[in-house]
Amino acid sequence: MNRILLPLAAVLLISGLGAVAVSERPWLPRNDVVQPIPFSHRIHAGVNKIPCQYCHEYARRSENAGVPPVARCVGCHGSGITGGIKPVTRAWNDHQQPPFEIRWNRVYTLPDFVKFTHRPHIHAGLACQQCHGPVETMDRIVPVKEINMGFCVECHTQRKATLDCVDCHH
Amino acid sequence: MPEGLSRRSFIKLAATAGAAAAVPGCEPASRKLIPYVVPDENVTPGMPTFYASTCAECSAGCGIVATVREGRVTKLEGNPADPISAGSICARGQAALQGLYNPDRLANPMVRADGGSLTQISWDQAIAQLNDHLGRAIKAGKDRVAFLGAPQGPAFRKIVDAFLSAHGSSRAVFYEALGNEPRRAAAQAVFGRRDLPVYRIDQAQTLLSFSSDFLETGDSPVEYARQFAAFRAPRQHRSGLDIGRSFYVGPRMSMTAGRCDRWIPAAPGDEAQIAWSVLNVLIAQRWVSQNSGVDLNALASLVAAYDPASTSKRTGVPAEAITAMAEAFGKADGAVALAGGDDDLLHTAVCVLNAVTGNVGRTMLFLDGGPSEAASTPDEVAAAMTAMREGKIDVLVIAGANPVFTMPPALRAAESLQKVPFVVWCGGVPDETAAMANLLLPAHHPLESWRDTFPRAGVRGLGQPVMQPVFASRATGDILLAAAQASGASSLPGKTTEEVVKAQWLAMAPQGGAEDFWTTARREGGSFSEAKPAAVRLNTGALRAPSPSSSPADLTFVTFPHIFLGDGDGADKPWLQEIPEPITQIVWDNWAEIHPSTAARLGVSKDQLVELRTEHGVITAPALISPRVHPGAIAVPLGQGHRAYGRYAKDRGSNPWEILAPGSLRIAVKVNPTAATRELITPLGKSELMGRSIVEAMSIEELARGGAPEEGPLAPEPYEMYAQYDYQRMWGMTIDVNACTGCSACVAACYAENNVPVVGKEGVIRGRIMSWIRIERYYPEENEPGPSVYLSPMLCQQCNHAPCEPVCPVFAAYHTKEGLNGQVYNRCVGTRYCENNCPYKVRRFNWFIPEWPEPLNLQLNPDVTVRGAGVMEKCTFCIQRIQHAEITARIENRPLRDGEIITACAQACPAKAISFGDMKDEQSAMMRRRADNKLRDYRSLEELNTQPAIVYLRDLYREKGKA
Repeated sequence: MNRILLPLAAVLLISGLGAVAVSERPWLPRNDVVQPIPFSHRIHAGVNKIPCQYCHEYARRSENAGVPPVARCVGCHGSGITGGIKPVTRAWNDHQQPPFEIRWNRVYTLPDFVKFTHRPHIHAGLACQQCHGPVETMDRIVPVKEINMGFCVECHTQRKATLDCVDCHH
Repeated sequence: MPEGLSRRSFIKLAATAGAAAAVPGCEPASRKLIPYVVPDENVTPGMPTFYASTCAECSAGCGIVATVREGRVTKLEGNPADPISAGSICARGQAALQGLYNPDRLANPMVRADGGSLTQISWDQAIAQLNDHLGRAIKAGKDRVAFLGAPQGPAFRKIVDAFLSAHGSSRAVFYEALGNEPRRAAAQAVFGRRDLPVYRIDQAQTLLSFSSDFLETGDSPVEYARQFAAFRAPRQHRSGLDIGRSFYVGPRMSMTAGRCDRWIPAAPGDEAQIAWSVLNVLIAQRWVSQNSGVDLNALASLVAAYDPASTSKRTGVPAEAITAMAEAFGKADGAVALAGGDDDLLHTAVCVLNAVTGNVGRTMLFLDGGPSEAASTPDEVAAAMTAMREGKIDVLVIAGANPVFTMPPALRAAESLQKVPFVVWCGGVPDETAAMANLLLPAHHPLESWRDTFPRAGVRGLGQPVMQPVFASRATGDILLAAAQASGASSLPGKTTEEVVKAQWLAMAPQGGAEDFWTTARREGGSFSEAKPAAVRLNTGALRAPSPSSSPADLTFVTFPHIFLGDGDGADKPWLQEIPEPITQIVWDNWAEIHPSTAARLGVSKDQLVELRTEHGVITAPALISPRVHPGAIAVPLGQGHRAYGRYAKDRGSNPWEILAPGSLRIAVKVNPTAATRELITPLGKSELMGRSIVEAMSIEELARGGAPEEGPLAPEPYEMYAQYDYQRMWGMTIDVNACTGCSACVAACYAENNVPVVGKEGVIRGRIMSWIRIERYYPEENEPGPSVYLSPMLCQQCNHAPCEPVCPVFAAYHTKEGLNGQVYNRCVGTRYCENNCPYKVRRFNWFIPEWPEPLNLQLNPDVTVRGAGVMEKCTFCIQRIQHAEITARIENRPLRDGEIITACAQACPAKAISFGDMKDEQSAMMRRRADNKLRDYRSLEELNTQPAIVYLRDLYREKGKA
């Protein structure tokens, strides 16, 4: 009996630990994230060639790239420039109504002990795709690479950028 | 502040990195990203926005700059444009954030049922109830409505007046627990004016303080700490290189007394006689100004009974001390005398001292065009309380004051409030007064509301909201204005507090530039100009001298505002409870200071609870046996003893107000030891240096001689374990211990900047206090030369030969390329070897997951990791600020500028005792400070060859017999 049970128990234990290890790393990028509206990066960044920072305008100035404010969407969609789809069905800036907010789902997260900031990376001339993959080809954003320390350090080593632990971990 | 603040949509990138920072360690930040609907042009998510405002924690009126991240304020710093704060604020100012985010703040209006229980109601219901009672009060006749509260600026006064006149009343009582009446009375008697003077300690060479704790509490602790640092800096006096001479006469060695050259113990109440005796010597020796215009003959007869010999006999203060003070005071090129406490004859004596030596207009200035009196007189307050008891008031609105806690029993505050049918309380954390109110309204914190301050002529501070309200609160001014409008007031100064404040500013504006003036004021935090001192004359005719009397045979109880807790309103803030009081180093409690000889006579031992009984009541406090209190005095700080006021303040210590008479902070007392004890908790180990070179001092005489004879190197021959590293940059600090007052503003600033958790009294008992920087306090041993007390900041020394680094088995403690001792939280496994090996004891271990009860977590700095259980942490030299500046410099393609990076502690220091900079840059201000003070430099525990990056400059004291 033991000859079957013990290995089985071992397998269960290891796979269980593995499951715990995975579930306790919830900051890993997820490829199953569905957004509240069917927004396509392919159409915006790919087909229409809108520069990334037209919408993610804080990337060069801040630690966050920034998700575009609703006003930025409406800037094109509501003004008739495109004449196309008008996804906004009510007055988007009507302060009498509950705010017109879009609750996007996060694809990329980092744990609190990593202080990543977009600002220097943009100024170093990195393309967004370097980390985020060919976004202009994706209808729905899925991560291409696991953003872990090995990924950061590899690039930092190649480009002779800082490798001091506390520059990111503080 | 943009016009749009009130309209600003706070829908933001709620889940930016670290926004969920309250969740420690590895748990995920929120999975949602919610963008603005309309972006605020002044806000970049992920970057701080700064708003100028004013601090409302005390009456000094410091200007502040609030750091706001994603719509929540995370840090307060002094406003460099403001002449009072000059860029720094004290620990209490730093901790204002914990008043704003206090988890015990009233979240919704509450009404008290007849049985006493509270029920939550809506704002509409609350306003309806208020209007109903006000309406009935109007019908009942004149003066049936009253306001009781702290002075909260000129605009607020206007609002209160409008509110009361709309209800046919003029009963406005502006109550300050620690008022200035004795000083005003003295100024009236001596100079014929009731305004408060300002002091220029930095213009003096001698300072006499008669129980004035000007570095801790009082008028303007930040400003006076800055001036005192300049006063104490070594410079050329007539006699050669010297520091300001300072004497402190008073019953206990406060922090201020400890920083003076000499503390002269005096029985409580004897200070006036000693001051008059100093005056006697000045006049007898003609150490007076030739052109002060004072009638010296009239004065001479007034002070005749105060020759040093007989004064010494009566008070026990050595005659030599009195003449030494007089000589130093009279011969100085600029001198200033200050007084604290409630004795108007002492305040009179101090005014005369400054006047006869020609220092009025030089170090003691009266300014014309200053604020009209802010607070009501004690008589007006007492009359209002009587009117309440006599049933003459139907509706009482209380805002910003806690009379039930701070009024001495003779004023019968609780009884008076009970006799008022409808008491409305507007405030934050419900206190003892709220417990007696019928209607409790959540009021905006000062950081959420508009207000103005007028601390002195030439300084007008503008307070503006720095964020949206945390709770469903309203501005007290708005509540009052709305009530006045509902009662049919015909003319109001404005519909909202903002309108009233703005109208006030527009009225001050120059012709044609009103809107610019308003915009500038909001950007700069106010309008600041230099006011010229008024010419005042001493009037000898109205002077009165105290009657010569011997010290009382009985013990005298004396109380004083706590440096952090003040008169009790700081007690709800955990930082202020956990930062040790600088001299006693006690946390989370209050204590009774008893002289060892008195303790022996009474049979009291350490930590024993003593019962202090006066004619007004009785309190108990644990005994602190200390030679730093006069044998005739029992000293207990104010601040504790709350029965309400939130989880951090409630049921902690005892309340000295309960045994005092109105208008006085001292009283005859009977002391009875009880059988019980309560341990006084301090994170400090030994009070003696025991030969360790943790902190050092030298005498000013030695400095004037050119320093100590060269000693051999303390450390062994420089010994390197590893190859030398070629640093491009190496961060270091210079700390001038002679400038440090011990005020602990740096400690509070560090708590705020670096997400340092609070562990509570239990945690401190177990040695788990987490502060990254602390003020170390030591006393020199008997017959050992040195200052009265050593007070010195201790933080990670960022050693070049760091004992912590080689013992870390996982490389979590390591040396960075910029010379710092890095600590990588996510690598740390918690062996605590580094902590064991650190000779400075500056490493802190997280024994538990730290907690920030909501919404205190909103204060957390998103640039700093919130550490979880099992992780070691310590001072990082504010690496997040270094990173921010380095990235900015790199992007702008320029080298880092000296002074661009300033750590939170250096920024907060009112005395500017801490400089931060690059040790590789000889021209940096920090390195120049080292070079300029070569004779005073030392490194803490230098003999260990740890090669710290922090160079201290020795404290200076006077050799015995030279003070």
